[in-house]
Amino acid sequence: MVSKVDVAVIGAGPAGLAAAISARERGAERVIIIERAERLGGLLPQCVHNGFGLLYFEKDMTGPEYEKAFVDKANSLKVEFMLETMVIDLNEEGMLTVVNRQQGYKKIKPGAIVLAMGCRERPRGALGIPGERPAGIFTAGTCQRFVNVEGFMPGSRYVVLGSGDIGMIMARRLTLEGAKVEAVVEIMPWPGGLIRNEVQCLHDFGIRLLLEHTITFIHGKRRIKGVTVAKVDRDLRPIKGTERFFPCDCLLISAGLIPENELSKKAGIELDLVTGGPVVDQNRQTSVPGIFAGGNVVQVHDLVDWVSWEAELAGAAAASYADKGKIKRADQIRMVAGENIKYVVPQYISGKDDVTLHLRVSRPGLRANLKVGNILSKRFRSVRPSEMIILDIKAEKLRDARTLKELVVDCKLEGGD
Amino acid sequence: MSKIETEVLIIGAGVLGAATARELSRYKVDVTLVEKEVDVGWGITKANVGVVCQGRDTLEFRPEYHRTKLLWKALPLMEPLCKELDVPFKRVGAYLMIRNLARKDKLDKLAKRTESLGLGTDTYLPYSELKKREPFISRDIKGGLYDHAIAVVHPVCLTQALAENAVQNGVNLMLETEVEEIQTGDSYFSVRTNQGEIKTRYIINAAGEWVDKIAAMVNADDFVLFPIKGYVGVLDRDCSELAKSLLAILPEEPGDMNIVVPTVEGNLLFGIQLQINRRHDHSTTEHMARKALENVRKIIPEISEKDIINSFCGYLMFRNFEIGWHECEVAMSSRVSRFVNMTIGYPGVSASPGAALEVVEILRNDGLRLDPNPKFNPYRKGIPDFSVLSEKERKALIKKDPKFGHLVCRCEMVTEGEITEAIKRGATTLDGVKFRVRPGTGRCQGGFCGPRVTRILARELGIPETEVTKAGKGSAVVPLRTKQLLEEGN
Repeated sequence: MVSKVDVAVIGAGPAGLAAAISARERGAERVIIIERAERLGGLLPQCVHNGFGLLYFEKDMTGPEYEKAFVDKANSLKVEFMLETMVIDLNEEGMLTVVNRQQGYKKIKPGAIVLAMGCRERPRGALGIPGERPAGIFTAGTCQRFVNVEGFMPGSRYVVLGSGDIGMIMARRLTLEGAKVEAVVEIMPWPGGLIRNEVQCLHDFGIRLLLEHTITFIHGKRRIKGVTVAKVDRDLRPIKGTERFFPCDCLLISAGLIPENELSKKAGIELDLVTGGPVVDQNRQTSVPGIFAGGNVVQVHDLVDWVSWEAELAGAAAASYADKGKIKRADQIRMVAGENIKYVVPQYISGKDDVTLHLRVSRPGLRANLKVGNILSKRFRSVRPSEMIILDIKAEKLRDARTLKELVVDCKLEGGD
Repeated sequence: MSKIETEVLIIGAGVLGAATARELSRYKVDVTLVEKEVDVGWGITKANVGVVCQGRDTLEFRPEYHRTKLLWKALPLMEPLCKELDVPFKRVGAYLMIRNLARKDKLDKLAKRTESLGLGTDTYLPYSELKKREPFISRDIKGGLYDHAIAVVHPVCLTQALAENAVQNGVNLMLETEVEEIQTGDSYFSVRTNQGEIKTRYIINAAGEWVDKIAAMVNADDFVLFPIKGYVGVLDRDCSELAKSLLAILPEEPGDMNIVVPTVEGNLLFGIQLQINRRHDHSTTEHMARKALENVRKIIPEISEKDIINSFCGYLMFRNFEIGWHECEVAMSSRVSRFVNMTIGYPGVSASPGAALEVVEILRNDGLRLDPNPKFNPYRKGIPDFSVLSEKERKALIKKDPKFGHLVCRCEMVTEGEITEAIKRGATTLDGVKFRVRPGTGRCQGGFCGPRVTRILARELGIPETEVTKAGKGSAVVPLRTKQLLEEGN
């Protein structure tokens, strides 16, 4: 056993760093971050593009700059780190089993735990794209690591499947590296990532975005030689006769991120089928007391700034829990995703304190009217599933809702789809 | 280009070739095993789902068929063989089920035959009983026959172990060696390969998917091959509880295979959607994927598209398919002496120990002197599998080699220690490592561990990362350095 740990944070990405800092600032004595990789920062070191910290620091930073700000702070607060250490088990009592080279096999029972494992990319196999199985198929994030951290290029001519943010950012990055990006292929009628990435990464570099298209076949025995792309109908099925061949020596897949919750499952934590992350209350406490969660492990965010903020909530609550043995549950009111709402996080709120809701719509549209029960309504000129909506609600607004068990959030589209 | 002389040349290091090489390594005979790929077991062996048939699974296993005989010969051998080679062998049992009570007579017939042949007793269970044992099966299932003996192995791991043990006992294994031409002499063959010439007294043609092409080089192709393509889907480990045993539906039409198979690693495979196909096309198709999913949902309705983490296609190479499924031959060619064809079609993995023994007999009967090899050691130690070890074993392993404390693949819980050991045993590619110790086979499919395994391969093999391949020549993982394109462009 490692001697008494107040808060153990799993993952040293932006969420883990923010949670650990906030736990220390809230008075937790000993805070340890357990990280499987060989360095801190999670995916930040490979995100060499800008656009980080605009909200949090009100400054345009790159991923490594954003990371450094947090790592410096964590160091000054004497947060401890265990690198190249894998948490291989987490049980309902909050006992962690960790493995690394130096200490071997260890069990740790901290006062509280913050889950900050982030998310992973959906791979090719899960998409079931028909065709051969050659070399040269990567998820966009894996390619990003090869190019920006390892210093290697997987190919010179690319097609990107899916228009997630990493996919669009990599399309630009590879173009800057002298590669040719033939197309970004998106099955939906709208891009999967942020508008700013669509503009800055694709339009500004003349990279074509094929909406309502998908890859119907992967060609190439040893190395990928090209892909067949077809237009899809309303049911997302390829339309015969619209097939086109795009030659490439590399296919990147940017088709969704999945919160990484294998450990959460081991601990018996209740998961939300829509977000893929734990069901959390306002303090980011999961269904297992003493285990908190923040960042992309809870819900896939658009911006790292929100990851940090959410993880700070979890870190602070974990520190209080470690101090007092428990904290008041903030789960008096259940938040319900109503019309055109995909999900709302947190799933439970206290009704007594100010709260920030994170939510996504199911369909994009113009002139949207967002309503939280009958306590709040807000108008938006347009909404898209890829742009998370952040809604602050003051405690006094919730006064009338306190007796309620649920609050339904709706987003009616008045300007049509 | 080298010139090699050998007594027995085995062409193809799939499960049949490797099993034969290992069997022959019991004797003082010079054996060379050539494989055109960069690793063993990568032809039709790779796409085999690993079921060890028990000779009574289908009415197709008629006692008079040659392949049934080979299989029966192999029946008692497979489990001890796996023990010797330290590869997993799991008796999972199987339920052969029906969705229409009118087909129960088929099952009765099968059960009766099993008993009369002395192969054991299979019990028929009605739906209510099946449901207790396999709670996730469809309500449309009426009943099924339980065969406790059905087992599973990992076909590629078995082949690797067979080849490793054969090499340990003196067999010369040549990888990336493709046979281009064979000349028949009076008492030897002269075989031209891309790696030089091999002079050999005997040839064992175990070329799997290409067995007819090799046979044709010496005019020993007195048979026609029918490639039957099969689609197999891989389910996430989260689905593992959906089937404890192999679940199959009695084919409603000939060749209409519909099974769910637990693998030795614990996840489930499903398929097999079959179709006659042009050879060498290993692509999956939307049609096959859809049909296979539709089919498997007749067994377990809960399985959905979201549960599939991977899929692949492989081939069953049937011989003279037009006269029936039963045609199979492991025999000296009737046209060319000292040339043995191995064409089993199905079930190749299950029958391989029997087929290997058969080849030894054929060679002995032809006058090849087979004195026991005094140095033969049947045992081969497997690579430790960190994910299944106890706490005590894990601690001991990390103490011995700290690399076992470094987890590289989180999905399948694979350590750096296992990866370096796989490379020591002959893995030279990403797939080679993957097929030995599994990094990249889990739900993220190598997203996290891919760059790390690439780096370990480069380090252990002493090559630049740009030369590390997925599966041999022409499949470099990251062929270029960053900035290289810009420099070349200028």
